[in-house]
Amino acid sequence: MKMLIVMSAEDNVGNAIEDIVGGDEISYAVEGKTHTVIARDEIPFGFKAAVKDIPAGKDIIKYKEVVGKAGRDIRAGECVHIHNVEGKRGRGDIPGGKA
Amino acid sequence: MKFLGYVRPDGSTGIRNDVLVMANGRGAATLAAMIAKLVRGTRRFIQPNENGRDGEDRKTISRTLVGLARNANVGAVLIVGNKKNGGYPEFSHEAIVEEIAKCGKPMDTLFMDSCGGFQQALGLGVRKARALVQKASECRREEVGLGALNMAVKCGYSDATSGMSGNPVVGHLFDRLVDDGGLAMFAETTEVIGAEHIVAKRFVDENERIKFLAAVERVEEEARSTGEDIRTINPIPANIQAGLTTLEEKSLGAIAKSGTRPIQGCVQYAEIPKGRGLYYMDSWMSSTALFLGFAAAGSVLNIFQVGGGWFPDDAMMPTVNTGLVAPTLYMTGNPRTWEKAHREMDFNSGTIISEREPIEQAGERLVGEVLAFASGRLTKGETLNVDDNLEVYLRGPGL
Repeated sequence: MKMLIVMSAEDNVGNAIEDIVGGDEISYAVEGKTHTVIARDEIPFGFKAAVKDIPAGKDIIKYKEVVGKAGRDIRAGECVHIHNVEGKRGRGDIPGGKA
Repeated sequence: MKFLGYVRPDGSTGIRNDVLVMANGRGAATLAAMIAKLVRGTRRFIQPNENGRDGEDRKTISRTLVGLARNANVGAVLIVGNKKNGGYPEFSHEAIVEEIAKCGKPMDTLFMDSCGGFQQALGLGVRKARALVQKASECRREEVGLGALNMAVKCGYSDATSGMSGNPVVGHLFDRLVDDGGLAMFAETTEVIGAEHIVAKRFVDENERIKFLAAVERVEEEARSTGEDIRTINPIPANIQAGLTTLEEKSLGAIAKSGTRPIQGCVQYAEIPKGRGLYYMDSWMSSTALFLGFAAAGSVLNIFQVGGGWFPDDAMMPTVNTGLVAPTLYMTGNPRTWEKAHREMDFNSGTIISEREPIEQAGERLVGEVLAFASGRLTKGETLNVDDNLEVYLRGPGL
């Protein structure tokens, strides 16, 4: 069993505090209750895994706050990083500056 | 919670007792550097060139000079210039020498045109600097409370541990410091984008809150005006390669270093806060510039809270002592970073992850270590003779 830290009950991602590989069973605690999810990808120490399915365009929530939006559908257990997440702020590359 | 510090004539408390040799205007920088090289116990500040800079930037440089000289870690000051007056008004005798003199610490001046040129000035400067070093050496440490400290924090090489086990430990220290009457400063305006709504709520004064939010908007507009996705600039590659995905994620982890107390004001780079408590400094994040700005604002001990997931094995720190007169305490909340870089770092709270140590307990350990460093123990960085590259955060054009 590998460990993930999920910062709040509203969060849909958590951080790996050990190196996780695809197929590993991951455990995380939210408000005292333990949950599990199966890793679909390699999730190295410090990287994020989805703990819920996140449809394309929906917000990525960490610390109870919006940290970006899903660039495509993300399934629980997938690694969540720049390949499937867009930042929403400081977007000089997008007219209006926000994604 | 006591430590042994140097209480200065203006009531501020230092933890080191160096003599600063400082050029008043870029033109005398070489002379200042040569004097400092010959005299033990001195530090020198080579300022960026004020020539061809707009009024705001000249004010920033001038504020940095005055602030560094007033810093309580400086026991005495030698100011070196070409002429007593004659440059931009921000570098006049009144703006620099008379402003520094107000803090009452031993100081002296040396102007090349009134002592017969460089050759005589060098000899006289060495004599004056040596006399100041001897004078400063008479200062004695005395017992004061934690709240006598002025401190500041920057986080860097951020990774997932920054927001979980690194910055919250600094937050605990800052709460303790503020509760005891101390001054605590945090900064990095790019790294509050996405978290500014949380920080803004903590300002006690509406005008200061507006200043803060205007600073965030200005920096985000600067980011947008590049035409680039901020993610190709900040988070920096080291953040992304360690697992941070967006600027918002980095910011939300970064603000934990400010603790939980109310924020008294939003100051400019190198601006000395008017009161005690927690302050925000509107500054660029680079460790080459920010720690210097903190020192000019009065910080006597800077904390560099490092994620470091990207660090190579047996890493050397990216900067050593960029506060110049204020040492840098390196810490990490990443147990793997500590394993890789413990020879160069001063404090580890990676134990929160590796041993499930409570944040409060790690925070209390940090308070204890801060008191030890404040009483005179050198940081690991202070045991090196390194001339760091120092920058002043200037926002205007070179003209």
